[in-house]
Amino acid sequence: MEQVPHKDEFKRDIRIYFTIIALIALILIIHQLHLGILGIALIVTIAVGEAAILGYFFMHLMTKKKTIHLVLLLTVIVFLTLLFWPAWDVFYSPRTPSEFTSY
Amino acid sequence: MSKIHDSDLVPYKVETREDTGLYNAKFGIWLFLASEIMLFGSLFSAYILLRVGSFSWPVQSEYLNVPIGALNSVILLSSSIFFIRAWVALKADDIVKYKKFMYLVIAFAVLFLCFKGVEYYQHFSHHEYPKTSVFLALYFLMTGLHALHIIGGILVNIYYAGPGMYLRAENKQWFINRVEVAGLYWHFVDLVWIFLFSTLYLL
Repeated sequence: MEQVPHKDEFKRDIRIYFTIIALIALILIIHQLHLGILGIALIVTIAVGEAAILGYFFMHLMTKKKTIHLVLLLTVIVFLTLLFWPAWDVFYSPRTPSEFTSY
Repeated sequence: MSKIHDSDLVPYKVETREDTGLYNAKFGIWLFLASEIMLFGSLFSAYILLRVGSFSWPVQSEYLNVPIGALNSVILLSSSIFFIRAWVALKADDIVKYKKFMYLVIAFAVLFLCFKGVEYYQHFSHHEYPKTSVFLALYFLMTGLHALHIIGGILVNIYYAGPGMYLRAENKQWFINRVEVAGLYWHFVDLVWIFLFSTLYLL
């Protein structure tokens, strides 16, 4: 939200709005297909795409200053570490089925 | 002697700083959003850790109401685009339009919470509580925290659409910047929901 958008930008925002809705519909279809691991990968990828489109256009990340990109880059690094370090630890820790918990 | 207002002592509320290239509130909100990413990131991390570390995991979509979740995604996305329209109207000095769109943002946010309430009611009527399973504990924690963010956003939006309008008379550009910053927060809340919906309802 950096400058006053004119009509073209309004049209662009509407196109983005419907694109994200179409992507929501797409992940619902993928969910219905029960594709297993492939389905999970596709749904996560599309969700990341939706979030990227929203951030890029609605939060105007494409026009933001380097300071914000730097803040976000550091955040993404920490976020990914938070996300994958524990999962990596679980994957590579030797376990027997009895050590797993049933939820 | 002219009276010095407190707000005059705050620098870079309208003009941009040379070092960051941003006015202070915008830099501040991005730092705040970064901390929010860490907060929700840690919860998503806990979700992954507990899921991959469990011997069995429930089929999530059997527990949750996917159509309501999808509808809520569209509702929140619509409120995001209304916020952009409100901000554009404010910059164009069209206050009637600004207020109209801000009320739409608030109405859609309340609608989102109503649907969330319906979902919670369905869970409770089936005796499904956070203590029932780890998945439901994560579901209630993450969506509950998100709902608190929505409530916070609603309060801020109500303030800027109503009682806070007097700030515009004080300094028009400063008020526009405040609304812009509130809008960035609102889009972020929408962005978090995209991940919550995909992760909790569909995976």
